[in-house]
Amino acid sequence: MLTDPETLRYSRHLLLEDVGESGQSALKFAKVLIIGMGGLGSPAALYLAAAGVGTLVISDFDHLEVSNLQRQIAYQSSDLGTAKVTLMKQRLEALNPEVRVRSINTQMSESQLSMELILADLVLDCTDNMASRQMINRACVQACKPLIVGAAIRFEGQLMFFDHSKDDSACYHCLFPNSEEPALNCSNAGVLGPVVGTIGTLQALEALKYLVGLPSGINNKLKLFDAKTLEWQTFVINKDPKCPVCGQIK
Amino acid sequence: MNIFVNEQVLTIPVDCNIEQLLLLLESPLKGSAVAVNQHIISRSKWAEYTLNEGDQISLFQAIAGG
Repeated sequence: MLTDPETLRYSRHLLLEDVGESGQSALKFAKVLIIGMGGLGSPAALYLAAAGVGTLVISDFDHLEVSNLQRQIAYQSSDLGTAKVTLMKQRLEALNPEVRVRSINTQMSESQLSMELILADLVLDCTDNMASRQMINRACVQACKPLIVGAAIRFEGQLMFFDHSKDDSACYHCLFPNSEEPALNCSNAGVLGPVVGTIGTLQALEALKYLVGLPSGINNKLKLFDAKTLEWQTFVINKDPKCPVCGQIK
Repeated sequence: MNIFVNEQVLTIPVDCNIEQLLLLLESPLKGSAVAVNQHIISRSKWAEYTLNEGDQISLFQAIAGG
């Protein structure tokens, strides 16, 4: 049951047949781990907190720099030098006091991440490097936790969803088996703010759909976003039976 | 035979596989992903996956930024 203030706050959700009171209650009892509080994590965390996801665990080890503000829209110029998770926790709690926010202000080891996954219903990979992406994927495969991956650079975005609670789920490693860092990143190649914001927003959308029980349109799929033409390409990712991460698991 | 690579027509030898195509294009094997007709082909299958006339190949790189 929702309280009267919750009914008011989430009235636009409650009007939706696909969400309704049961969906809103599901959001209230959900725990989502968001790793990375940059350009992807900013809109993702804001939307999930606004939507009433009951527990958010946010992770990042960076402090806010002035070059972040061009795209990391959760932060303000007066916040420079402060840990992003500290700022984000304050921001999310101010946005929605009904939401419990826990922050992790370190670079998580794989074992620490595995512990966090025990408590999580869903994981959003909003990180900015390949090593973290491969580690998060491995841990989510092992823990059978659904993973929504976003990435962006320049005018390009990538979005994918792997429901590792399902036996036939492919994984990030089936798609990108190489763990070397790509030569280009946001620091050396640039990115336009709304490109990374679009992908982070869609990670939040897919998260909400998953939590209220709606099917994802991108399960075992990769969406490529071309921000210049606004065109999307969609690719099916089949589980690679020879994948060293997920191939032997099931 | 003709195939399409990122929507551009390309003439390749018959029985060309994905790995040979990338070598032909001088495209890096590492960090690349390949889809044939909108299906991702895992890296482990590139050497055995023979391309067919008219195949639509999408070739792109992993991006990690966020």
